[in-house]
Amino acid sequence: MAKPKVASVWLEACAGCHMSFLDMDERLLDLFSRVEITSTPISDIKEIPEVTVGVIEGGLGNEEELHVARDLREKCKILVAWGDCAVFGGINCMRNFIKPEDMLREAYTDTVSTVNPSGVIPHVDLPPLLPQAIPVDRAVKVDVYVPGCPPDADTIAWVFNEILEGRIPKVPSQMMRYD
Amino acid sequence: MSNSEIRMFIDGKECVGSRGDTILEVAKKNDVTSIPTLCWMKGLSSIGACRMCVVEPEGSGRMLTACTSPAEDGLRVNTSTENLVSYRRQVLELLFAGRNHFCMFCSQSGDCDLQTLAIEHGMDSVRYPFLYAPFENDTTDVRIQADHNRCILCQRCVRTCSEKVGTCTLGMKKRGWIMTIEADFGSTIGQSDTCVECGACAQVCPTGTITLRNLAYRGRRRDCDAVVDTICPICAMGCAIKVYVRTGSIVRVEGTNVNGPDGGQLCAEGRFALPYSSEQPRVVHPMVRTGSTFRTVSWGEAIDVIGSKLKEHRGSGKMGALISSLATDEELAVFSSFREAVGIRTANYNDGSLRGFYAGIKPFVDQGVCPFTAAHNILNADMIVLVEADPQKILPVAASYVRVAVLHRAARLIHVGSGATPFPGITDLEVKNLFDPKLTGMLKGAKKPVFLLGASVLSNPVAVTKALNFAIEHRAFFGDGLGIVPLLGHSNVLGAMNTIMSKEDWLGGEEQDFLYVYSTGMVPESSKALSAMSRSGFTVIQTPFLLPPISNLGDVLLPAPAWFERSGHLCTLEGERRQLSKILDPVRGLKGFGEVLQALCEKVGVKMGNPSTSPCENVFASKISPDLAKQVEVDEELERSTQPALAGRLPREA
Ligand code: SF4
Ligand code: SF4
Ligand code: SF4
Ligand code: SF4
Ligand code: FES
Repeated sequence: MAKPKVASVWLEACAGCHMSFLDMDERLLDLFSRVEITSTPISDIKEIPEVTVGVIEGGLGNEEELHVARDLREKCKILVAWGDCAVFGGINCMRNFIKPEDMLREAYTDTVSTVNPSGVIPHVDLPPLLPQAIPVDRAVKVDVYVPGCPPDADTIAWVFNEILEGRIPKVPSQMMRYD
Repeated sequence: MSNSEIRMFIDGKECVGSRGDTILEVAKKNDVTSIPTLCWMKGLSSIGACRMCVVEPEGSGRMLTACTSPAEDGLRVNTSTENLVSYRRQVLELLFAGRNHFCMFCSQSGDCDLQTLAIEHGMDSVRYPFLYAPFENDTTDVRIQADHNRCILCQRCVRTCSEKVGTCTLGMKKRGWIMTIEADFGSTIGQSDTCVECGACAQVCPTGTITLRNLAYRGRRRDCDAVVDTICPICAMGCAIKVYVRTGSIVRVEGTNVNGPDGGQLCAEGRFALPYSSEQPRVVHPMVRTGSTFRTVSWGEAIDVIGSKLKEHRGSGKMGALISSLATDEELAVFSSFREAVGIRTANYNDGSLRGFYAGIKPFVDQGVCPFTAAHNILNADMIVLVEADPQKILPVAASYVRVAVLHRAARLIHVGSGATPFPGITDLEVKNLFDPKLTGMLKGAKKPVFLLGASVLSNPVAVTKALNFAIEHRAFFGDGLGIVPLLGHSNVLGAMNTIMSKEDWLGGEEQDFLYVYSTGMVPESSKALSAMSRSGFTVIQTPFLLPPISNLGDVLLPAPAWFERSGHLCTLEGERRQLSKILDPVRGLKGFGEVLQALCEKVGVKMGNPSTSPCENVFASKISPDLAKQVEVDEELERSTQPALAGRLPREA
């Protein structure tokens, strides 16, 4: 039997969840023997194939991220939201108190440490922002929520194991964290 | 089964309670721990604001908040049905959706009741739309911050501030989702006129809303290396505290007496000065002055230098010691033995007030009555008379008692003195003199008055005696003694009064040849004490902290253990001797007070007797019922020297 495939994406987030994933250390070898890792931020495959497990780290803040989330949802059977950003929106949502334009102006021209005399705000080279940063489940259905900023490597490992044993896990209280 | 006893069933377990108990109270009495709470807090009124404590009466399909619903005989409730758990989770999700919680950078993450409950209820996502309403972070106060983004409107802070501290600083403004707590009706904590910065609100806040700014991020409770129960060593209230230690620092101090009269509050000093104290620079080696600087020496050399001075001046009559009235009973007892052995006069930091107070109460002590009552009896008084007294400055938690008695227990408040009342807005009468007919008239209607005496009264024996006579005249009798609360500040004033108080005021007088100072470094020394230190021929200063001015004044500077390195007993004004416990291991090479005095005795060639202490309860306990106390005659001649607020007499009944 072919090994189940896994794809993961790094959307609006700090990469901490993927770091925590790497913190699984030697357990990674065990995981790699049981699944086939396809497209991830740490591998070279950029096109998401059809997979069993799709993992999203990060919230959704722009059109591209929204597109990627929908694409992964379509291509995976079980969608896992990793980390506070994917689950609750996380730190990205701190921009939701102001309008996107104001946020861009603040970030690219108004901050004291910024040198941008002509006041250029990136527009062509960046995907358009969504009105607010949102948790993944505001756009697509999520099957497994793994909160934590980041979740512990133990929790990530436990979640993979559960899925590989054919269950849709719910992180138990003893493993759950929001920080 | 007594009349008031009721039996109910919680999750099938038979539980016994009393009529009038809430369901939660019955649950607590019967060790049922399956009802979560968030807004409820022991010692505060129940308001049923959060709905975490809901339970289901069997077969009714209803939900009751256990913290506010009365228990009934025969009632059967369940606490953990699927329905209840999912309801509670919804409540939690709504709390998260309605405010802006970013646990990853919240100082209370890991110590937050909201977070704990959400995790316990398996909240792995929030199904409601996040509102992202902009709330303010009130950083107007340098010590206490209120980030309204995290508030769950449980009002624990509001109730504590009102019901325990009595300042009623905090309240609620607006309604619905945009409701926030506020200070002084529309102001901020920093701009508040009423807030006393006691930090009680921060201690009870279950979330990261109200926090102590400088003490945030110093370590979660569960990351601490040790937690020690002890008391605050600063003032004579001796508030019970829990001290959290992490990597050798005191990171957090909490009041623990939640079931007691103070409700676990502390004052600003206890709350902030105690944790900062473990960060202060220390005196770690004995040091001897050479010219304008100090030279580090061995203990042996330091003892030699001091010992030879002691020998030189023995018998000169100009040798004195100034001992902190924050020293423990045990330390004071050792010093008493030392005094006997070498012949040295002693004084303590409160000598002035204590001498007057002692002389003034003596005739009543001789009658076998305790001439004062535990400070918390202020709460049981129906009339509080402040005689030149501002408790907020001396015994801050006693000031809370005054406010709470007036605001919640309908006590009347009277200020007697030359200045304005320290409690503007809640004082019923302000007079200049205790014998003012307006006051004596009001006192006629009082059943249990209490009199708080300030320093200017305490230092005057005639005034003290007259105040006690006055208290007896107006039936100020409490179970433990007469209705007097002397505002004596330092933590072991009563202990000092028992042991090392001097008969005459020598400290301010002629220069001493030799002066030994034992300081705990927790309160500033008076200018009189400092001047005595700089004027004496040879001064030894034993103090824990390398803090001027006193660390600059000695000829020899000796390290002393700090309060967190000492243990012993302090006689509080709360009517009991309380235990001070060691929190941290002493810094290396430190010698205790007794050890140093012992070494000095050996040097001088005298033998120190065995120190013994008598617990203050024994010294002051009433041997007769306080209402049998008799007024004593005050010498006409002495009468003239009375403090102005006590000049005069009661009209004698014919
Ligand atoms: S108050 Fe509690 S729930 Fe809110 S951000 Fe802080 S730790 Fe998280
Ligand atoms: S610090 Fe004390 S007085 Fe000030 S608001 Fe908080 S509880 Fe009230
Ligand atoms: S500030 Fe804290 S204690 Fe006060 S209502 Fe808000 S959450 Fe409750
Ligand atoms: S009232 Fe006195 S004993 Fe209590 S915390 Fe304040 S200083 Fe310490
Ligand atoms: S604890 Fe009962 S309603 Fe909050």
